[in-house]
Amino acid sequence: MENTLFTKYLFKHPSVLVFLTLLSLFTLSVVVLAEGFGFGLISTSFVKTLGKTLCLCMVAIAMDLVWGFCGILSLGHFAFFALGGYMIGMWLMYARTELIVLDATQSLALPLTKTEITEAVGIQIFGVVGGSEIPLIWSFADLFWVQLILVILVPGSLALLFGWLAFRSRVNGVYLSILTQAFTLALALYLFQNDSGLRGNNGLSGLQNIPGFDDVPQSIISIWFLFGSAVVLGIVYLLAHLIVSSKLGNIIQGIRDDETRVRFLGYNVESYKLFVFVITASISAVAGAIYYPQAGIINPAELAPIASIYLAVWVAIGGRGRLYGAVIGASFVSLLSSYFTGGQAPDISLGFATIRWTEWWLVLLGLSFVFVTLYAPKGIGGLFDHIKGK
Amino acid sequence: MSQLLHVDNVSVTFDGFKAINQLSFDIGNCELRAIIGPNGAGKTTLMDIITGKTRPDSGDVRWGDTGISLLRFSEARIAQMGIGRKFQKPTVFEKQSVYENLLMSLNNNRNPFSVLTYKRNRADDEKIQNLLHQISLQSQKGFLAGQLSHGQKQWLEIGMLLAQDPQLLLVDEPAAGMTAPERKITVNLLKDLSRTRAIVVVEHDMEFIRQLNCRVTVLHEGAVLAEGQIDFISNNQDVIEVYLGR
Repeated sequence: MENTLFTKYLFKHPSVLVFLTLLSLFTLSVVVLAEGFGFGLISTSFVKTLGKTLCLCMVAIAMDLVWGFCGILSLGHFAFFALGGYMIGMWLMYARTELIVLDATQSLALPLTKTEITEAVGIQIFGVVGGSEIPLIWSFADLFWVQLILVILVPGSLALLFGWLAFRSRVNGVYLSILTQAFTLALALYLFQNDSGLRGNNGLSGLQNIPGFDDVPQSIISIWFLFGSAVVLGIVYLLAHLIVSSKLGNIIQGIRDDETRVRFLGYNVESYKLFVFVITASISAVAGAIYYPQAGIINPAELAPIASIYLAVWVAIGGRGRLYGAVIGASFVSLLSSYFTGGQAPDISLGFATIRWTEWWLVLLGLSFVFVTLYAPKGIGGLFDHIKGK
Repeated sequence: MSQLLHVDNVSVTFDGFKAINQLSFDIGNCELRAIIGPNGAGKTTLMDIITGKTRPDSGDVRWGDTGISLLRFSEARIAQMGIGRKFQKPTVFEKQSVYENLLMSLNNNRNPFSVLTYKRNRADDEKIQNLLHQISLQSQKGFLAGQLSHGQKQWLEIGMLLAQDPQLLLVDEPAAGMTAPERKITVNLLKDLSRTRAIVVVEHDMEFIRQLNCRVTVLHEGAVLAEGQIDFISNNQDVIEVYLGR
């Protein structure tokens, strides 16, 4: 029954069907071509880049929901993304350090007590910031399921609190954008402190090592994560599509176009904005929790205000107000960005000066943003309208 | 005729300018009422106060048989309680279809979670078909609201108000930008609707108000200048001086 309902939905909304098919094909071909699995045409680090890109697509979908559909230009969604990463990173780091400690003390005649283990783990993790005590916020770090719930719970509650305060006071437009920037900056500055309990500017590292899977090579783990990222992206896309094609989708687009009219139709606009804000913050957090084990390291620089601005640029270039536009924008721009800033693009010598792409990429990005805004306000995704129209 | 809305001695000041000055005003059940007045007389501010957009400095607005004060409710709550408002400029959701515009306005549960899980059903579809018939937009059902003519948008907005099934309709300049035949349809629509609910029409156009043939309230400098049938109003010396004579 469930199955027929699902297939019916797919045929009613062909864009979802096309997206899910392309996503599966993409994942399948990467798995087949990857180093760890068969042909070895795609290096492990590139598999990780692709897996990370899929996670960025999820945040872009969240951004599209909150900005493209509901009209809230949040410039702070990367804060939720990073927080999700921190939450899962705490478990990864704690559990692995604990395993290492147990391993190193195996030959001792007297096995360590629980307190001794905790102390040893504390020194290992917090020695770098001059501490050894395990902070209170790490209370559940050894429990995978609890940290997994915290991945959604912590960013979700923060979004709820922030959104409730902001929307209740009817902060709108550019003022709200500035407030979200301040929010992510404040959080980053807090995390930069050594006594924040999350290792200050060192952040959490070694996240690519999954506790208990030490004997599995990274080339295989990277494929697991790519696969996982693809599955979650598929679910997020479907979920987002369900939201925008429901009556709630009509309402939030109404809020984007004319908030006052929605209010005078008897809808409590604030609770709708809050709903969308919290849902998208949670999606971002889940994306972050899958992203950072592939990146291997997370530090407060990830919460820099500029990251969230890039997110808006991706969605604008891809085409806001359409979900596939967000995916196109995020994947296209972030892959190009890692190509140009990764030192792979050849420098262009003009005789009197040399164009180094690591520096000039930002200029290129800026120019394409201006170009899209002026000549293709619907973004790359808008091109599909022309194809459909003919 | 029992009383539906009672505006009691309300004043509001914007930066020292008295937009509404100790204004009192009553609307009965199923009454059709027109409000006229020169620019700055406080017509729109009065609507803002009734619908909760502006809080008055003093006075009270009482609603329904129980005489409950509206001042402590939000715009959304007041709309849910049965006061619908049409803006001066037609405001419809231009990027969505006529059908969707009406669907959103239907008097269903407005909680985000029940809106998310809402399924289209036959009863609601029939309601929308009836509304489309009432506002003469049957054949534009699938159009984007942005494609409608100015007059059609005005009707659509009235239809959206009707979908909420309000007891009181506040209609700001319904005839603005309408052709003569469109005006005629609008007059008949408003008259027809006022048989089952109260309607307050704010309008500049005296000819339109003459066609409505209802009680008229003249506002001037934030207070009621005169009230009565159209013939009484058009012969009132004060009204002629401040408004009609110009």
